[in-house]
Amino acid sequence: MLVIVPILASILLLLMTSRLNPEAREKFGAPTRMAAFIISLAMFGVTTMMFLGQIGDVGWNNIEFNNFEFKESYVWIEQLGITWTVGVDGLSFPMVWLTTLLMPITIIATWNEKAGATYFPLMLMLGGALIGVFVALDMFMFYVFWELTLIPMFFMILKWGGKDRKYAAQKFFIYTFTASVIMLLGLLTMYFLMDTQTFSMQEMVVQASGANANGVWLGLEVQKVLFIMLMLGFLVKLPAAPFHTWLPDAHVQAPTGGSMMLAGVMLKMGAYGMFRLPISLFPHALETFQYAIMMIGLVSLVWGAIVCLGQTNLKKMVAYSSVSHMGVILLGIASMQPLGWAAALFMMFAHGIISPMLFAVCGAFKHHYHSMEIGAMRGMAKHSPWLATSMMFGWMASLGLPLLAGFVAELMLMIAYWDAYGWLIIFPGLVLAITAAYYLWSMQRTIFEGGEATQPPESLHGDPVPDIDNSEKVAMLLLAAFTILFGVMPWIFLDMMDMWTQSAMKFLFRLGGV
Amino acid sequence: MSTENEFDADMIETLGPEFTVFVGLLLIMIVPNLGNGTFRIPGTSIRLPWFLGGTRYKAVASPRLPGLLAVLTMAVALFQVVWYLLDASAADSKIISSENGIEIFKVNMFSRIFEAIFFAALLLAAIASLDRLPTGSQKSDDIDVLFNNRRQADFYILMLTSALGMSVVALAQDMFVLFVGLELASFSTYVLVAFHKETRAGSEGGAKYFIVGSVASAVGLYGLSMLYLWAGSLQFDALAAKWAADGASSLSMMALGFVLVGFAFKISAAPFHFAAPDAYSGANSPVAGVLATASKAMGMLGLMRVLLLITVPDADADGSAIWVGLLGVLAAVTMTWGNIAALGSENPKRMLAYSSVAHAGYMLAALTAIGAWNWGLVDNGGDAMDVVVAALLFHMFVLVFFKLGAFLVLGVLEMEGGASRLSSLAGLGKREPLIAVAMFLFMISLAGVPPMAGFLSKLLVIMGIVEVATGTGSLSAIGDAHWVWWLALLMVINSAISMFYYLRIGVVMYFHEPEEGREGALASGSSIRVAIALCAIGTVAFGLYGGELIELCRNAADSLQ
Repeated sequence: MLVIVPILASILLLLMTSRLNPEAREKFGAPTRMAAFIISLAMFGVTTMMFLGQIGDVGWNNIEFNNFEFKESYVWIEQLGITWTVGVDGLSFPMVWLTTLLMPITIIATWNEKAGATYFPLMLMLGGALIGVFVALDMFMFYVFWELTLIPMFFMILKWGGKDRKYAAQKFFIYTFTASVIMLLGLLTMYFLMDTQTFSMQEMVVQASGANANGVWLGLEVQKVLFIMLMLGFLVKLPAAPFHTWLPDAHVQAPTGGSMMLAGVMLKMGAYGMFRLPISLFPHALETFQYAIMMIGLVSLVWGAIVCLGQTNLKKMVAYSSVSHMGVILLGIASMQPLGWAAALFMMFAHGIISPMLFAVCGAFKHHYHSMEIGAMRGMAKHSPWLATSMMFGWMASLGLPLLAGFVAELMLMIAYWDAYGWLIIFPGLVLAITAAYYLWSMQRTIFEGGEATQPPESLHGDPVPDIDNSEKVAMLLLAAFTILFGVMPWIFLDMMDMWTQSAMKFLFRLGGV
Repeated sequence: MSTENEFDADMIETLGPEFTVFVGLLLIMIVPNLGNGTFRIPGTSIRLPWFLGGTRYKAVASPRLPGLLAVLTMAVALFQVVWYLLDASAADSKIISSENGIEIFKVNMFSRIFEAIFFAALLLAAIASLDRLPTGSQKSDDIDVLFNNRRQADFYILMLTSALGMSVVALAQDMFVLFVGLELASFSTYVLVAFHKETRAGSEGGAKYFIVGSVASAVGLYGLSMLYLWAGSLQFDALAAKWAADGASSLSMMALGFVLVGFAFKISAAPFHFAAPDAYSGANSPVAGVLATASKAMGMLGLMRVLLLITVPDADADGSAIWVGLLGVLAAVTMTWGNIAALGSENPKRMLAYSSVAHAGYMLAALTAIGAWNWGLVDNGGDAMDVVVAALLFHMFVLVFFKLGAFLVLGVLEMEGGASRLSSLAGLGKREPLIAVAMFLFMISLAGVPPMAGFLSKLLVIMGIVEVATGTGSLSAIGDAHWVWWLALLMVINSAISMFYYLRIGVVMYFHEPEEGREGALASGSSIRVAIALCAIGTVAFGLYGGELIELCRNAADSLQ
């Protein structure tokens, strides 16, 4: 239901408005926005009620690896054994909830986006497809939604993007498409190598673990090849160095709403996919490539952070900081410990709340100061206190201030990483310092420097300096509230993530921890 | 299986769709000539009305009439074919043979599904062409009444002739009959390509297509004569038996090679594809669409008949077919060449032509996989062949919707006049939102993005290849997989490359400003829009729910042997 309703609604809205002439379509923007907002709010209500127990009575903190709640299964294409199977577990539910949370917030934050009659339906379609990826338990269905997310995002970047949007949109599409067709070939090869062919992810895991218990499923060499093919698709999406170059382009050119969803949820698809497929199926290959993944993670982390230091474009800086944070997820995976995996999962979640805030700030900056250059605005604390406060809050959350959501994940990661790799911890430790440096430096220049004597930036052409709109204020406040909530009470979702990682470790490696 | 060798009601029933096309053909020839002509009995002054000639009736002189007749004919024929396919008793095949036992036609699911492809493509093209042809000379009303639907009649007669030729190819059980059908269809398409005689590109494309095509046919015919020399018969059964008994000889190999050249031209496989871009860009768009779908399916059909029926080793021999290496190289070259050439095309029709070359490469890769099957080593060799053949059938079937649909969208733009350029698509998203959406669907379907039909068909083809390469048992090392697995890898990489030029169409449609004098909605008739809508619906519907069609294709593949 959560998947179908937004997609159908968006198609309906798009069809309705496509026949209208431009003026009528302009007028239609507000009702479309209202409809999209109500639908997304209703979806958020449903997932929240699912979590709180009003819908279905699920013991969220007791869902073990490879068990799913709210499972439904229908035959889709009988001749190929393809089914429509959905369900959630401790890995996917936080992501689903996050998606439904971000959709209304994004709509609020970009309340006045132009050409709303097309924009908001696309947003709905994107949300539906993202949820589809997270709840799909059928390989075919997973792939269909995986690709379907590209289409609305492609159009969002193209239509509402910046100056080089064509280049960015095509680069975005082609990078991720290339990686995912290779992933598809890996999936199909795996499909035929199985003892009994099935598209059901649940059955695949059972089959794989049965064979992995006394030997290596499919043989180590085949496992390694398939692992690489699958990981490639997810690494590009994540994105990890050296496949990350599409991300800064896409982010800088994308509209604010697109960036928020892209950073908030779409990147997490990569990490989610890693946990769901290659890691769950090929533990032996994972052990083999443990160091390789660690290195990729480390390189992303360090590279992203160092590039950030040299950025003068605010949004580009935030985009590279995303690359850096996604490196943390890889480090968590490579630590091969329940704590590290839980840290990776929580990082996905925390970054999913914090990074939309960062991009909302960037969007507001662009919107009100018509510039993205860090030096364009000085003394923002005086001119636009709301924006300055939001920016400061987001930046602090992202660099890992205690009591905010990001800190929890980073702390867990550090502990797990220390256990696994010992002295190598100086690299992530160093990066934390760099992160603090670029965030503080950019803040100091935009918010505080100049003070009383500051002139408004030239890009305003002498207009009075504005502060952010009410809708933007609401969105920032909400995001900030959730950042604090999950910083103070991380166990809300951490418990079910922890259960998932513990049982997954036990299941995959036959022991309680490595 | 039943055999018929007498021309009677039974045979007419068996060959129902073909007779429908034939009757339609006669009607288009006769009906536009009906008039108040009379016939004087010699020696008397009694004039008997016989309705041919004289002053034509208003109704039969209508320029729309031949088109409507053709649409009706194709619709009825398609309906008959689909009826046959959905009929449960269709599993047994019927053979039409001459009195001395030579098999001529074989009617079964396999041949019928090809006819469904041909008729569907021609039906859509015929619908789309209703508004496309210039009517009359516009010099004076009198002359108009005389001439105003001659040209249309010619056009649709050629279309139906090619339909008839294609169905003969589908049914043929004898290489010679197949060749006759092939030529019948080819000659009609040569003329159809050049039908746009007012433009230079039309005549040039037609001439090129004709010359290269007749050389290919001649080579094929030469191969046929050598085959006859080798086996003493051109019956498929006899050839297959001879091959199984004697194995390959230098004579038979050479003969086969020549025959393959003829078919490779039809499917526009590299290096025989050079005429295709010219022909496609010269022809008017519905015709180009037919070339890229029905005509190509006809070539594939010939290849499948020859390669799979005659030269595939017996199940008890081990190893793979003799042509596997050659075909594999051909497939790799064709898909890569097509895609890379398409990258640089500024003319969307040439781009579609090259993309059609690339698709030919994908299909050849699937055929290679069938030949590569290690028949002796695996029990279910027959099954794997069915799976790949079914994938090919499915691919060719759905290709009709999105390939032809893309050509039809270009057709709408052509009606504005001017050559086909990428920039003429500019701003289509603003001018005609629905047509632009349809075009975008066709493009991502061609590229193989879910949930379009093009994704499912590509998925099936890749699945077939991978299944053949890895087997369904366990494989200890990826190096042990058959090398056709690398063709699958090449195929997905090519899909990614193709994304560039398909996406570019989307970008141009939505984000470029329309050219001077090309603002506002397109002025065009409803029929071509109906055809585009049908194509778009097919593209989405078979992508979301292709189960029944896959089942049908499997049954059809099953009846190949």
